[in-house]
Amino acid sequence: MNPGKASGPAVRIENLDKHYGTFHALRKVNLSVGRGERIVVCGPSGSGKSTVIRCINRLEQHDGGRITVLGTELNDDVANIDGIRREVGMVFQHFNLFPHMTVLENCMIAPMIVRKLPRTEAETTARRYLEKVRIPEQAMKFPGQLSGGQQQRVAIARALCMQPQIMLFDEPTSALDPEMISEVLDVMVTLASDGMTMICVTHEMGFARRVADRVVFMDGGEIVEEAPPEEFFTSCRNDRTRQFLSQILGH
Amino acid sequence: MEMVVVAPPAPGKVEDLKRRFFATPLQALLSLMSLAIMAFVVWKLLDWAVFSAVFTTSGGPEACQAAAGACWSVIAARWRIILFGLYPFEEQWRSALACVAVVVMTVLSCIPAFWTGRRIALVWGAGTALYYVLMKGGVLGLSYVGEEAWGGLALTLFIFVTTCLIGFPLAVCLALLRRSELPWISRTTALIIDGVRSLPLISILFTFAIVLPFALPQWLVGDKLYRVILGSALFFSAYQAEIVRGGMQGVPAGQEEAAMALGMSYWQRISRILLPQAMRNALPATINQFVISFKETSLVVIVGFFEILASGNAAYGTGEWRFAYVEVYAFIAFIYFIFVFSLSRYGAFLERRMSVGER
Ligand SMILES: Nc1ncnc2c1ncn2[C@@H]1O[C@H](COP(=O)(O)OP(=O)(O)OP(=O)(O)O)[C@@H](O)[C@H]1O
Ligand SMILES: [Mg+2]
Repeated sequence: MNPGKASGPAVRIENLDKHYGTFHALRKVNLSVGRGERIVVCGPSGSGKSTVIRCINRLEQHDGGRITVLGTELNDDVANIDGIRREVGMVFQHFNLFPHMTVLENCMIAPMIVRKLPRTEAETTARRYLEKVRIPEQAMKFPGQLSGGQQQRVAIARALCMQPQIMLFDEPTSALDPEMISEVLDVMVTLASDGMTMICVTHEMGFARRVADRVVFMDGGEIVEEAPPEEFFTSCRNDRTRQFLSQILGH
Repeated sequence: MEMVVVAPPAPGKVEDLKRRFFATPLQALLSLMSLAIMAFVVWKLLDWAVFSAVFTTSGGPEACQAAAGACWSVIAARWRIILFGLYPFEEQWRSALACVAVVVMTVLSCIPAFWTGRRIALVWGAGTALYYVLMKGGVLGLSYVGEEAWGGLALTLFIFVTTCLIGFPLAVCLALLRRSELPWISRTTALIIDGVRSLPLISILFTFAIVLPFALPQWLVGDKLYRVILGSALFFSAYQAEIVRGGMQGVPAGQEEAAMALGMSYWQRISRILLPQAMRNALPATINQFVISFKETSLVVIVGFFEILASGNAAYGTGEWRFAYVEVYAFIAFIYFIFVFSLSRYGAFLERRMSVGER
């Protein structure tokens, strides 16, 4: 398998079904994400947003339908899963930095042990991306010594150090204090302008307007609406979407 | 001209003492009485242990027994039995060197610079091999000494260190198996752990030393010493496995998810992300378990080994020194204290070191 060389969309999700026990979390979700495309996923709590993007790198196992990432179908083949995870970076709501390693080590470990990069090369890459997320001076600190916004930027740098082709964001700013949100969003905007394929679960509608190619609205485990941002915000067809938008934009 | 500035006693301290211990007349009285009792006890102890004690063997046991204080002569006369047990007298330098080898090996493997797979394997391999060759002999012109003649401190250290060397990795394996996603693996492991934990150590030692040889084919039996070490390692690992598991439960699920999302394999996640954090959480309980195991080595006496405590019994039990058992036990207690205290201090050092970056 050689993810990335094949042509076609970056991610194709067909008729995705997912149960947690008896709870039907995803119902026949269909989504196709082209290379270089930026998708924003939004929807009320519990609608299945996290579940969808966690299925893309197999943090959750789906039980119906097909997921194809960079031309490789996700199934029980461990080699496929590992190959896809190398090419798909993920940023979590709660950062999930490794607290026992310095910022620099956080960024170097996966390239070194997964991509087998030599130490010096891994360090150069790590410093370059720390520069890019604008915290080169924090390299020798431990995550616990940084603010939330700084930690999330380190988490983005850590994912980028693997040189992924696709980046997944699961509510990257919802655990942050308001004054730190913009520093993280700025980094994400830069990333988008570099042409990265991005799937972002977020309620930052300003961000969606600015960078998204498409906004996807989910409710009750289904994709209810899917449209380019200007159309999505001005003329959405669905009642649930309208209600949701009025709630988060309303005041 | 130089000025010598004598710092006045920190006013805060005196005030603090007054406030804590002499606030009311009753409190002052109680404080003074406790102070007097403590002074009395310390004086009596010092008098017994130092001022009225006999340190030389010149007068023999009789003069020693007549003295008012401690009779340390018994140690001077019998230390070799205490430290080396029944090991042949002329060969006891080998036993001493073997002790040094084990201690050096332990100290080296406590130093962070040695914590790479190859170095730690080298240290442990060389240490145990050196111990074994020195103690057993039969090669390099060293005369042969069978395991049944090993004893004293040399035996205690060997049993403790090998118990930990075998028991610790086993504990980590058990802890990992216990959190397996396959129910039949995790249940079986839980059953084994709980089974071993529900048995007293003595019964396990007894089973491994006495009963196992009847059940095993002859070529698998091995020397009693190694069977006893295996038994005690099994016992150690059952407790330690639960400690490690507790440490793992303290690591948030997000850590493994982040490692998975970066493409790390199962063993990379375990060794680089999960275990370092779990061990940090489990450190205080782990040091505790080590201390307990060190002291529990004395139980091997029931299957016929003369570790340090049993050697101590032999040291005063032979007639002329019979009256001096307190001194012998005080000496052994002191040796235990040195090892256990170093172990706890090392634990404290590790905790400080690992807390870097935690907040
Ligand atoms: N591990 C799990 N076990 C059982 N149910 C789960 C699990 N994870 C999620 N669910 C359920 O699946 C549904 C979808 O969860 P998901 O986390 O995808 O929602 P979400 O849209 O990301 O919500 P939020 O905005 O709160 O993050 C929820 O109802 C949730 O309770
Ligand atoms: Mg979510």
